[in-house]
Amino acid sequence: MDVALSKNGARILQVFFFLVVAFLYAPILILLIFSFNNSDLPTFPLSGFTLEWYRQFLHDSELHAALRTSAIVAVISSIGAVALGILASLALTRRRFRGMAAVSALMLSPLVIPYIVFGISLLLFFHAISFPLSFASLAIAHIVLSVPYTILVLVPRLEQIDSSLEEAARDLGANRLRTFRSIVLPLIFPAVVSAFLIALVVSFDEYAVASFVAGQQTTFPIYLYGALRFPSRLPEVIAVAVVVMTVSLVVVVGAEIGRRHAEGRLGDLDLP
Amino acid sequence: MTTETDHVPSPASRKHRRRRPDLTTPGLLGLPLGWLIVFFVIPICFVGAYSVGALSLFPGAHEMTFSAWNDFLHGSVYLSLFWRSVRMSFTVSVVVVLFAYPLAYFLALSGTKRKYVLLLILIAPFLTSYLLRVLAWKVILGSNGVLNSLLFWTGLRDPDHPISQLLYSKFAVMLVLGYVWLPFVALPIFVSLESLDRRLLEAASDLGASRWQSFRKITLPLSLPGVAAAFMFVFIPTVGEFVTPSLVGGVSGYMYGNQIVDLFGASLDWQTGSVLSLFLLFVVATLTLVFSRFLQIGRVTTG
Repeated sequence: MDVALSKNGARILQVFFFLVVAFLYAPILILLIFSFNNSDLPTFPLSGFTLEWYRQFLHDSELHAALRTSAIVAVISSIGAVALGILASLALTRRRFRGMAAVSALMLSPLVIPYIVFGISLLLFFHAISFPLSFASLAIAHIVLSVPYTILVLVPRLEQIDSSLEEAARDLGANRLRTFRSIVLPLIFPAVVSAFLIALVVSFDEYAVASFVAGQQTTFPIYLYGALRFPSRLPEVIAVAVVVMTVSLVVVVGAEIGRRHAEGRLGDLDLP
Repeated sequence: MTTETDHVPSPASRKHRRRRPDLTTPGLLGLPLGWLIVFFVIPICFVGAYSVGALSLFPGAHEMTFSAWNDFLHGSVYLSLFWRSVRMSFTVSVVVVLFAYPLAYFLALSGTKRKYVLLLILIAPFLTSYLLRVLAWKVILGSNGVLNSLLFWTGLRDPDHPISQLLYSKFAVMLVLGYVWLPFVALPIFVSLESLDRRLLEAASDLGASRWQSFRKITLPLSLPGVAAAFMFVFIPTVGEFVTPSLVGGVSGYMYGNQIVDLFGASLDWQTGSVLSLFLLFVVATLTLVFSRFLQIGRVTTG
């Protein structure tokens, strides 16, 4: 006899699970259907198949500019966040220092701060020091938001690595920098890639803070938000939505599978 | 760095190496800590300065005053709006946790094969764009939208009388927030149920407890940390939400976050806006501290 669930209980929960999954995917499926529907309004009955909305999206220069802005900001901020995340994670896992808990809490606190409060603080700060709102302010903001995610990916990985490997390297005369480059970095590389991809997605999808610090720049979420308020462009936006959802799903799921696979292969090195 | 250390070090080069930059604790922490202090902590201090009038949007003479705080805390419309947002956010969090618990229970305890695949299927929608998921509901709920047109088409409803309260309502805001957060919330509950020792349930069963009794006395209490974490994962981001209500909320779905945006935008009252922002931050920070042992962020610090 199963102690957690009766047979009927398990069956009921299974049905419930797939009903919820259907509820979660139905809106996405509806977007997919209407992205091919030959009508200005997303209404039933369907009025025919068209690729017109995808064609429009391919020729929309405003949208392309927004995608380009977001891509630039995402790449710069992800590189910055991963660099800062590696430094912070090394300090948190390989060093003992006073105030460690406080430092760690500070590093992770961007996870819980309401984005509206953070956006406004940066706006007031940049305003007070007359810092122009543009690519730099966007990248600065997104680095702050992404650093905790990189730490959450990197710290567990660093903890897995047997530190005697590093001690051996040090005993053989390598300094800490060289030890990092030759021993630690190759071992955490899958996690570094994964952290980078998560930071990319965080930045690429971020609207709330960007809306305060973007200045004249239009990122992709800012473009989307504008398009959502003026429904005339709805069908085209739906087509964009389908493409972006597909790409981001492939990136994130691919990153997770890739990381597990790579760490599985590196696993032999960790535990001699 | 240079590659001169790549060959076997001679005593001379070893001496030389000592003076090269090394990864000391300040060297490791300096940049990330500095970045967060300059671009995270100090900006929040600026909000504090604006809230008491030490800084102002308008140049010229102005003095420190707590009047904006005073107005806010003593029966302002803002405070009642805050409680309204708390109630909305609380309702969403409770409903979402009630939905997520059986999902997590099914994945963790039904002995289903491929539970990690099913978990990924459940969470995947959370990994797609937030704005686009809101867009999907706007398309569905609009008075010229999918749901209404489906009702007209199938003859369930007269085209002259669409269900107009679907979009731009408190209901729409809560539905969309629940939809957005549901996939993610099952995760902390799943983790706490996964780590449950099944032998406890077997022991209870051997001692004559029914499944319901062992659920109530063992499984539920042991999974409460996960439930608390799940609740906070929804409550903290939704209580200050302004994007979803501005897209699907209309007048009746207006939340505290929208008020903050309007104070900084349309009404240019940065002082009151700063008070509202700091108050929100204070509430969220307090909740986070109180619940931090459930949020499992602490696990990182003890490593």
